[in-house]
Amino acid sequence: MGKGRYLLKRFIYIVFVFFIISILMFAIYKSMPGDAVEIMLGSSKTTMKPDAYAALYEQTRQRLGLDQPLPIQYFAWMGNMLTGNFGYSTQYKKEVIQIISAPMMNTVMLNICAMIVVFLISIPLGIITAVRKNGVFDKVIQVLTIVGYSIPGFIIALLSIFLFAVKFPIFPISGLRTAGMDAGGLAGLGDQLWHMVLPVMVMSVSGIGGITRYVRASMIDVLRMDYIRTARAKGLREKTVIYVHAFRNALIPVVTITTWWIIGLFGGSIVIESVFLIPGLGKMLIDALMQRDFSVVLTMQMFYVILSLAGNVLMDIAYTLVDPRVRLEN
Amino acid sequence: MKLKKLLSLLLAGAMAFSVAACSQDQSVTNNPDASSAAASDAASSGTDASDESARPTEPSGQLVIGTTTDLESDFYDASFNNTATNYKLYNLLHGYGTVVSDIDGAFVYDPTVVKSHEEVENEDGTKTYTVTINDGLVWSDGTPITAKDYVFQLLLESSPEMNQVDGYPSQAGYSLVGYDAYFAGETENFAGVHLVDDMTYSVTVKAEELPYHYDITYASAAPRPMHVIAPDCDVVDSAEGASISGEFTADLLLKTINDPDTGYRYNPSVVCGPYMFESYDTASRQGTIVVNPNYAGDYRGVKPVIEKIIIKTVKNDTMINELASGSVDLLFQCSGADTINGGLDLVDQGKAEKNTFFRNGYGKIQFDCSQFPTDSQNVRQAIAYCLDRGEFARQYSGGYASVVHSYYGLAQWEYQESKTWIDENLETYEKNIDKAKELLDADGWNKNADGSDYSGTGTRYKEVDGELKPLVIEWANTDGNPVSELLATMLPEAMTEAGMELKATTMDFPTLSACISHSGDKIYNMYNLATGFALASSPWYYYSTDPVWMQGGYNSNWIADKDLEAAAYALKPIAYDDDEAWLPAWQNFIKVWNEKLPDVPLYSDEYYDFYSTRLKGWSSSSVWEWSRAVLDAWVVEE
Repeated sequence: MGKGRYLLKRFIYIVFVFFIISILMFAIYKSMPGDAVEIMLGSSKTTMKPDAYAALYEQTRQRLGLDQPLPIQYFAWMGNMLTGNFGYSTQYKKEVIQIISAPMMNTVMLNICAMIVVFLISIPLGIITAVRKNGVFDKVIQVLTIVGYSIPGFIIALLSIFLFAVKFPIFPISGLRTAGMDAGGLAGLGDQLWHMVLPVMVMSVSGIGGITRYVRASMIDVLRMDYIRTARAKGLREKTVIYVHAFRNALIPVVTITTWWIIGLFGGSIVIESVFLIPGLGKMLIDALMQRDFSVVLTMQMFYVILSLAGNVLMDIAYTLVDPRVRLEN
Repeated sequence: MKLKKLLSLLLAGAMAFSVAACSQDQSVTNNPDASSAAASDAASSGTDASDESARPTEPSGQLVIGTTTDLESDFYDASFNNTATNYKLYNLLHGYGTVVSDIDGAFVYDPTVVKSHEEVENEDGTKTYTVTINDGLVWSDGTPITAKDYVFQLLLESSPEMNQVDGYPSQAGYSLVGYDAYFAGETENFAGVHLVDDMTYSVTVKAEELPYHYDITYASAAPRPMHVIAPDCDVVDSAEGASISGEFTADLLLKTINDPDTGYRYNPSVVCGPYMFESYDTASRQGTIVVNPNYAGDYRGVKPVIEKIIIKTVKNDTMINELASGSVDLLFQCSGADTINGGLDLVDQGKAEKNTFFRNGYGKIQFDCSQFPTDSQNVRQAIAYCLDRGEFARQYSGGYASVVHSYYGLAQWEYQESKTWIDENLETYEKNIDKAKELLDADGWNKNADGSDYSGTGTRYKEVDGELKPLVIEWANTDGNPVSELLATMLPEAMTEAGMELKATTMDFPTLSACISHSGDKIYNMYNLATGFALASSPWYYYSTDPVWMQGGYNSNWIADKDLEAAAYALKPIAYDDDEAWLPAWQNFIKVWNEKLPDVPLYSDEYYDFYSTRLKGWSSSSVWEWSRAVLDAWVVEE
């Protein structure tokens, strides 16, 4: 009963926050200087006669509903969005739903690959460094993780391009597909994965640095606990102590990171996407912002708002799964 | 005209020599290789010419073209999508326009398409162009092309039905008689368009659109595949004009043109250009086109022999590496010292070839001449005298640029014929602070803030309507723009010395654009922008004092100067082939412009194409861009 009421309250909270943020976002974007219709019509302004352009401009404003007062525009936008109509992209001159899937796929695929690499490396590394605390291996990893964590992504990206694509041309410099490659299926997938090696590597560096240190710190805390001493005193094997008793209890902070990482699967990286020329959500968001393509911007922002709010709830639920002491109550 | 063509044929080489020959429009190159770079174009062309016999007769190979502008999935025309890369691809897919620009940038009837043409000036001031197209032209699917396809384009792209397809402007027949009624849906017949017979159409231009220097372009039409876009419709003619019969509705067009999967806009399945659309990969934004076996050739009869062309996005920072790695074969119109030097290194190593030409346009300081104090010609000139433009161009471009002094591009034939005249007649605005001070004194900027005579230091003031106003120039620029950064380094100190204060505000481009069009929160005195000259450059619109042309964005300087307007308008009625009348009128215009100085031209880039040694026969220019040059080129396997 407590869990149901809690989830219901959180749902109401999410709906409330969603609408408040939507009003704020809408107001902020609409108050930005720059004319979306003028940008959309582009060079037509100087290729059409002024009277014809003026007529087209007015017609376009009306078509996009931009001639309406802002409150009406807001309700029209919100009503459409809630029914799955995310609006019309003035930049791409297509419905938003038609243009967002390809970059989303690129971003999600990139992030999933990076997440797998990061977790496969950082969790075992974090555990090992915690167990071998202050040893040579631990100190070396500490230095490396600080370096990985501290160097900005674009520097790592440029360095990796120089090393692995220019100096030693092992991987492609940019893009997601070999130009002219006419292959589908496994060959096509293999080509795409080959193109993703460098960006995934770059994305993983800071992730590995951060999460390794996080897991290490969490494990060190847990390994100091009395119940770990008790487990060892009972004569349990060290592996059992670490991986069954210690690691599960060290998971709570890791769950926080993992949840945000999963939410972040849909968040594009403008740096990585720009350096490696990957058409993803990060670049799309920035481009849309620069082009005053508010349908795209607002759709993506509200999507992220929902993800964040839902992510908090998911995180709470995940805590109960890894730690039975945690209860979903008010 | 012949002289013009002859001169234009020698353009690349002549340009290089003119630049090196102490003309006032001098190159500012500080790179010893650069002065010979332009000249090397002629040399490389010579090499290519000797290889001409190696040009394959059948299409083969593929060419990967790197572009810094993303390719979008929209291939109808510039009215739907006006990104530069899409526009070039549009040119490769859609051919057989009756009027095209030739290799020198001059408009000509395309003899591959046009069998005959006739122009008749009517008593009511209108003018009728009758064009007969050649037999034997076919669409890529083998369907014959007739005059109906040309008339269909004019009707379709002027129609209210098409206007409902994503707000298409429907302006194709704007200048023709009967357009207003047809576009408004008041009549189904377009009075100014006639289907004379299966191979002949005529268009009648409104009297108010004449005389017009580029009136040959009124005769222009390009075919659209009626059997694909409106398969159950037909074009019929009557005394009231041509019309489309059958179920020609917006719903039909929304399906045949605008459907995201099958619409002609996104999937131009039947075309008549040198290439056919093969695919567009949304995930990687790569487009692929393949040679059209049914293409009859461009205006010279040249057909492409590169079988497949792939367009791939590249980044400025790494595109030379992409060329070196072989992931692209051609980088066109490269500018900036880092990129050019990187490309030249590849050329020196024998890993690439180059082709170079000057940009037909320039980067500039653009004044808003409606705003105090840049409404004053003296103030604008004084600002120009505060900047060492040669040094600016050198620092900005790393030596790969030239400086011009008025409203002209280095690829224009008028410039080629007027170099000596320009040297003798135009003010070059060499940096001269004393001259700037003189101009400001003469303009009444000779007070201190307290109303006393100007002391010689600090900001000057001027009494305007009984009020002392400071000489403050509000400058709007964009973030991360190297031109802005360099101007911010070179200009303020000199302006301060002359008694001016430069106030810079940085913003993003949409905000800047709103300020220029006077729709933003504030209007500034100056902006730094760039401009390029269209083949149909029409200064009479850009310097018209009619508020319509200012508010319409043409006169973006908002300059209301009767002398400048008169000089520009004098060009408009001159017949297109009357070079003898055009040239002195053009010279007068650029002289008046040079005095009024609505802009300060800063640099005219020296562009480089870098390409793989696999690519042969490559020769492009600023008026013969890559989408045209690719027809002459071929690739060899190495």
